[in-house]
Amino acid sequence: MTRSPTRVVIVDDHPMVTEGIQSILESYVDVEVIAALACGQAIIDRVGELAPDVVLLDLNMPGIGGLSTTEILLERRPGTRVLILSMHDSPEYIASALSHGASGYVLKDVPVDEIKRAIDAVMAGQRYLCTGAQGSLAPFSAPEREQLTNREQTILLLLAQGKSNKEVAVALDISVRTVETHRKNIKRKLGISSTAGLTRYALEHGVLQGTGVRI
Amino acid sequence: MKGWFATARLNYGQKLFLLATLPLIVTAVAISVVVTLQSRQMAEREIETLEAQLIAAKRAELRNYISIARTAFVNIYGRAAPDDEEAMEQVSQILAAMLYGQDGYFFVFDYNGTNLVSPRRTELIGRNWTGLEDASGVPVTDELIRLARSGGGYHSFIWPRPSTGERSQMVAYVIGLQDWRWAIGTGVFIDDVTAAVAASRQQVETRVQRTFFFIGGATILALVFVFVTGLFITIRERRLADAKLKRLTQRVFDAQEEERGRVARELHDGISQILVGVRYALETARRRLATGDARAGDTLDRGAAHLSTAIQEVRRISRDLRPGALDDLGLGPALKALSEDFDRRTGIATEFDTVVFRNRLDDEAKIALYRVAQEALTNIERHSGATRVHIDLRGHAGGGTLRITDNGCGIDASRAGAGGGLGLRNMQERVEQIDGQLAIRSSVDGTEIEATVPLTHLLTPQGQSETVPETKRATA
Repeated sequence: MTRSPTRVVIVDDHPMVTEGIQSILESYVDVEVIAALACGQAIIDRVGELAPDVVLLDLNMPGIGGLSTTEILLERRPGTRVLILSMHDSPEYIASALSHGASGYVLKDVPVDEIKRAIDAVMAGQRYLCTGAQGSLAPFSAPEREQLTNREQTILLLLAQGKSNKEVAVALDISVRTVETHRKNIKRKLGISSTAGLTRYALEHGVLQGTGVRI
Repeated sequence: MKGWFATARLNYGQKLFLLATLPLIVTAVAISVVVTLQSRQMAEREIETLEAQLIAAKRAELRNYISIARTAFVNIYGRAAPDDEEAMEQVSQILAAMLYGQDGYFFVFDYNGTNLVSPRRTELIGRNWTGLEDASGVPVTDELIRLARSGGGYHSFIWPRPSTGERSQMVAYVIGLQDWRWAIGTGVFIDDVTAAVAASRQQVETRVQRTFFFIGGATILALVFVFVTGLFITIRERRLADAKLKRLTQRVFDAQEEERGRVARELHDGISQILVGVRYALETARRRLATGDARAGDTLDRGAAHLSTAIQEVRRISRDLRPGALDDLGLGPALKALSEDFDRRTGIATEFDTVVFRNRLDDEAKIALYRVAQEALTNIERHSGATRVHIDLRGHAGGGTLRITDNGCGIDASRAGAGGGLGLRNMQERVEQIDGQLAIRSSVDGTEIEATVPLTHLLTPQGQSETVPETKRATA
């Protein structure tokens, strides 16, 4: 039985890394690299048109970083599997990647066939966490309390400012349903049931008062 | 008015100088005014008393003269009838003969104003002087006659001195001989009284002026003192500040050089050597491939393994220089990694607590708080003997607060002053640099270090503008 090859997009601002991964993946018949992009905004803009199965996404990129890109990408095209590529091997990175919706996390300096194994794993619907050169990544325990993602923080702020679901959706160019999902997740993570409670929470923790960057 | 305020904006030193001198000047002026007014008032009262006494003495003298004269003619007058021409002539002659002192004499007017006796100025005799006024318009004869009619009294007016012709103030005393309708009187000049009063006034004025000059002098001396002291202190402070700045700069340079030296050593002794090993392996592999040696694959594997080591080494050095998590994930995850690492390395049970928000602090605040935590953990490891450490980071309506508590032996005050204090001072400077506050509470039961950054260092969550960079670092 022949299966159509997995459609992969590589997003990394280092051409050497992109080329290296591309040349490795070309040796596999069941993987097709349909695009190699250099920044997060490019994949956000083209995810609909490219319709990739898996996006290999660099964590550290100029412009929108890998975490925010993951979130927005998944809002645009929810079925996409995102595999984060990174040089960082600490558990915090992995936890953050997963909480922002990534399906897997692979260190860049792993043996070549591991990236392929990761692609196969996420295509099979599994989570893939790279074993890493030191094996330090292996047992990953979920954090006791989930942190809000970047997107959720943005939405919390907008809601706390008194905006409705619809207004938030318009402001962020996403669907109202997506906002509702985020809102549900925020309430669940904070253990708060009402919108007034969200506003109060934002006030108490200095979210509304920050003066460094105005939205 | 607005313009005036704008130009009158003073710096701190000038304000301080004003604060020191203005009250001084105001006080000095107030004292001068009060002293001047009071001493003038007091002197005036004294002078008035003096004048009154002198005048009283003069009046007593005049009464005396009149009473002597009266004794001389009272027998004749007592026996004479109201129209006894002979008796009148006799009395006139007696009075005309009674001269005293340089300018003293007796005069007589009849009630009609005609002069009857005036021995020093005989040209007045026999003429009617009704309506005579002195130089300043005071009626002379009319008033003297009025006083005589009413029995007697004093009158003061300006009159030429018989001896010199010079006009002077005179006090006269008259009595009336009602039967003859005569006014008999005598007068003395009171220039000496006026002179004495003027002299006293002058004296008072001199005294007031002297006091005034004294207060003024003292004030000026004080002002000069304040000014010179201020100048001296300013110069000294500036010199101290310069020296401090120089020491600080030196310390920054030292730290920088030390850090560079360390990184250079690590690059050279660590990574360079490993990469050299990789090159050897690659060259060996090529030679073995050329000769068809089957071990070429193993050699390549060894080279790849060396490269992995090199990558790990770079990762370690990079993380030591600056943890990537701080920039990529925020302070919370970076501190979590730090505390887990600390826990693993030292065996001191370390907990980290934070709220669910991430990446809320700007770069300055993140790195400052991270270094404070690092410094605190170093101190705890080296000196405290603690078995438990708790790190807590949270945002609140007033900013963000990092709190590090341990159950160690506290900070030894004697040690804090010397080498151990450098870490504390570094923390202090780090936090002050971002306008934050550092509180260190230490007892034998442990230490609590609390660093607070103001709201100005808190960012709002990344907003609609999706171009806000998560990180500006180009390395992956």
